[in-house]
Amino acid sequence: MAEFAGAFAASHGPLLVREWESIPADQKQRLTRAFQELGKRMSAARPDVLVTVSPDHWANFFLDNYPAVCIGVGETNEGPPEPWMKAYPHQKLAGHAAFAMHVAEEALRQGFEPSISHRLKLDHGTCIPLWRMQLAKMPALVPMLVNSIEPPMPSLARCLEWGKLLRKAIESFPGNLRVGILATGGLSHSIGEKTMGAIHEDFDRETIKRFSSSEKSLVDYLSQELPSRGNGSEEVRNWLVAHGAAGGRGFDLVDYLPVPAVIVGCGFASWG
Amino acid sequence: MRDYWLSKLFFDLQQPALAAEFKANRDSVLARYSLSPEVQDAIRENNAPFLAERTNAYLLRYYFFTIGLKDAEFIQRLRGG
Repeated sequence: MAEFAGAFAASHGPLLVREWESIPADQKQRLTRAFQELGKRMSAARPDVLVTVSPDHWANFFLDNYPAVCIGVGETNEGPPEPWMKAYPHQKLAGHAAFAMHVAEEALRQGFEPSISHRLKLDHGTCIPLWRMQLAKMPALVPMLVNSIEPPMPSLARCLEWGKLLRKAIESFPGNLRVGILATGGLSHSIGEKTMGAIHEDFDRETIKRFSSSEKSLVDYLSQELPSRGNGSEEVRNWLVAHGAAGGRGFDLVDYLPVPAVIVGCGFASWG
Repeated sequence: MRDYWLSKLFFDLQQPALAAEFKANRDSVLARYSLSPEVQDAIRENNAPFLAERTNAYLLRYYFFTIGLKDAEFIQRLRGG
């Protein structure tokens, strides 16, 4: 049977690439260190497969059909389509069709209804953390795209349940695989709205604290606060998936720093 | 509220070839989308608050980036400045 190799989370944002050189040196150093520490922890966990949990930033889906959750079941995933990501070293990223299809089938058996795609483009949301983590060996990627950018979005409780389902799917897969989870996005940021640029450090720090308390406390807090903490903060859903997969415990903060130059409260964490 | 065709324009402009055409001949590209005169005017005037009410915030940011506005100027426009 496959086994759970660990869960990880990292922020993303276009300016981590486009404006990298304008980030103050001390913050750049901390960001570099945090990404690399996460990469080190992930390498130590030796995942053969990595489920990447991220939103789709309009790379694959449009208003014609925007799924709440989509699982990438293809043998191959495409690299980032954004022109400013052209230096990203992978134009193709291997998938793991058998495990991905097992997740989709297990989901349907358990009353979840994901969309599936046999060919996904992995945009900056997935690829910036993978890039900055400097992994020596890229695991096969099974993308899980969770809508956190176009309302209505999956509920916070459902995202936790998705994580628990992922864990069950990992542990019921009949193959000798180690499977990790990488959640990307958050913490607070605001995009394309009047408050764009705002970082809510108080919200971020309280959110981090709640990851070490009960699921109810975490979900209650986020339900109350998210509507006023910037639309980008909704990406914390991906962290909830990772948290659910990790059994709701073991959250270890690698680093947190608000970075005005990239307009994101940048968080990094792992679950053992 | 979502203006489908405005959103579709912004979505399509993620393609570099269309973005280049848009920069060279904006009206020719606009004519292919079923946009109201008010929306067309808002595009020509870079009226970010008007457009923000009609499309997804991320698509709006991509659009202003595509036409060459830095985030700082985009933020200023979003706030009506």
